[in-house]
Amino acid sequence: MARFHSLQVTDVRRETRDAVVVTLAPQDEDRGAFDFTQGQYLTFRRKFDGEELRRSYSICAGRDEGVLRVGIKRVDGGCFSTWANEELRIGDRLEAMPPMGAFFTAIEPEISKSYLGFAGGSGITPVLSIIKTTLAREPRSRFTLVYANRQISSIMFREELEDLKNTYLGRLSILHVLESEAQDIDLFTGRIDADKCAALFKHWIDLKSVDTVFICGPEPMMLTIAAALRDRGMREEQIKFELFASSQPGRARRKSESAVAADRGAACEATVTLDGATRVFKMPKQGQTLLEAALKNSMDAPYACKAGVCSTCRAKVIEGETEMEVNHALEDYEVRQGYVLTCQCYPLSDRVVVSYDQ
Amino acid sequence: MSDTMPIEEYLLKGGVLTSPDNVTPRYRGELLRLMASFVDSELAGAAGFADTINDAPGIKERIASAKIVLEKTDHAGRVLEIMGSFGADTDRYAVHHPWGARLTREADIGAARQGGDMRLSVFHYPLQGWIDAVVMNMLMGTAGTIQLRELTHVSYQPLAEVFRAVLPREAHHTELGIEALKRIAENEDGATAAREAIAYWRPRVAASFGLSGSTRYETLARFGLRHTPNETLLSEWQAAVDAQLAALNLN
Repeated sequence: MARFHSLQVTDVRRETRDAVVVTLAPQDEDRGAFDFTQGQYLTFRRKFDGEELRRSYSICAGRDEGVLRVGIKRVDGGCFSTWANEELRIGDRLEAMPPMGAFFTAIEPEISKSYLGFAGGSGITPVLSIIKTTLAREPRSRFTLVYANRQISSIMFREELEDLKNTYLGRLSILHVLESEAQDIDLFTGRIDADKCAALFKHWIDLKSVDTVFICGPEPMMLTIAAALRDRGMREEQIKFELFASSQPGRARRKSESAVAADRGAACEATVTLDGATRVFKMPKQGQTLLEAALKNSMDAPYACKAGVCSTCRAKVIEGETEMEVNHALEDYEVRQGYVLTCQCYPLSDRVVVSYDQ
Repeated sequence: MSDTMPIEEYLLKGGVLTSPDNVTPRYRGELLRLMASFVDSELAGAAGFADTINDAPGIKERIASAKIVLEKTDHAGRVLEIMGSFGADTDRYAVHHPWGARLTREADIGAARQGGDMRLSVFHYPLQGWIDAVVMNMLMGTAGTIQLRELTHVSYQPLAEVFRAVLPREAHHTELGIEALKRIAENEDGATAAREAIAYWRPRVAASFGLSGSTRYETLARFGLRHTPNETLLSEWQAAVDAQLAALNLN
């Protein structure tokens, strides 16, 4: 179950026009819990207009810096990121879950390895943590970073990366790719597409000597680079991805309270959607769960434990009232949004509308 | 090329998802279902093999059986942890079914799951002694390796990594089975008993590959959770088993 801890904001630094770097301090008893591995992220929660939103941001600090720090880039129309960029102040408190994620490989101090990193925009945040930690703890290793941005002014951590290059002379090389500002070399202008990858691997990067590749960015970039790497013989185990999905989860909408007259019928009309297909059927209010009714009506609804423990059968109640017998897998946060465990769920109202697709 | 792409299109193009935050509701449901099937099968398989430790004919065989029980349980735990990252109550899940429970030898359940227990149907049948267990391990282990290899390509990266780590250890369990079967087949009584067990287990293990032309498969393929149809994996298994049994003179 999700456990949130209170962190104090000890610094807020404007990094670019659209991004801030936030330094956080856990309470003494939580220090151990927030001991992160490079490449991990924190999931924050905050109420906006009474509704809870959760968002994840990657830790940008290296393991040896002794701080917990995240980078938050403003997303167009993004509730949390806009608030963080405009209103977050030193001294504020933020609630976060302990660090999560597997976007890292084991550090092996005696071995000399060659790493390649691709970062798109704010995707630099976890990659920066990885670069710092790796260069510090694997003294014989090298790192090449390909960093794609719109223009110079949107490059996060530009100076910090330059400083790292100087600190680790010869061990870190950075290729900036800018979408809309012409650079000296044509290769580095534009987006990272298949042609650009081909040119990069032909003239600038010796893939055969690379041990591990880290890629962090939006979907199109991930696909393009992954394909280019696989085409050139990179094995799946050598490629680590962290997807910064571009689709907005949207504001968490509280399930609307339906003002219906008392529902007294013994049967209920259920409308259930799965994979875009909707079935409407009658079901009793007692003795049969929503899941059982869906299965009986030939819907291949997902389920596993049928005990309210695994949450495979989760669906969203869009209209109507229901009641769960037991709930060991959904958080209050999910229940408030209308999610139910259909294996435990009985209809209370004469009409329910449920979707497995939302 | 735009900056954004719907997740469905991304998955169709072979994209990889990396955290519970990335997944769509339908993907989440099918991913959890797939994981539950693996966890339940490993726990049931391990529980069933636990009794086999006491049927083992010698020290080496007891150790091999104990190792299989330990490692399959460990593998279940690793995938259960990922289920936990989606909200599953892993402590409760680990004990919510009596994993050692079995139906009778004569029960005929095809490929159907029983209630909320997602183990593959083959794990509902009881083992009967050492030779029976070795044969079942060899047949189901060969199947498991093929099915697992398919699953190392799932589009949910944290799970793919666990399957990749687990595959060689599971493959080794099968090798232990083949070694033991070789010794059993060396004498006439052993070979006879083995052939009986093969006749019993072979169709039941075949059923674990699922249905041909499965619509569930189509959904999973869209999500990048499956890449090779059930029929193809089944054929691969039949061929592998034929070859193994021929080499042991048990066909």
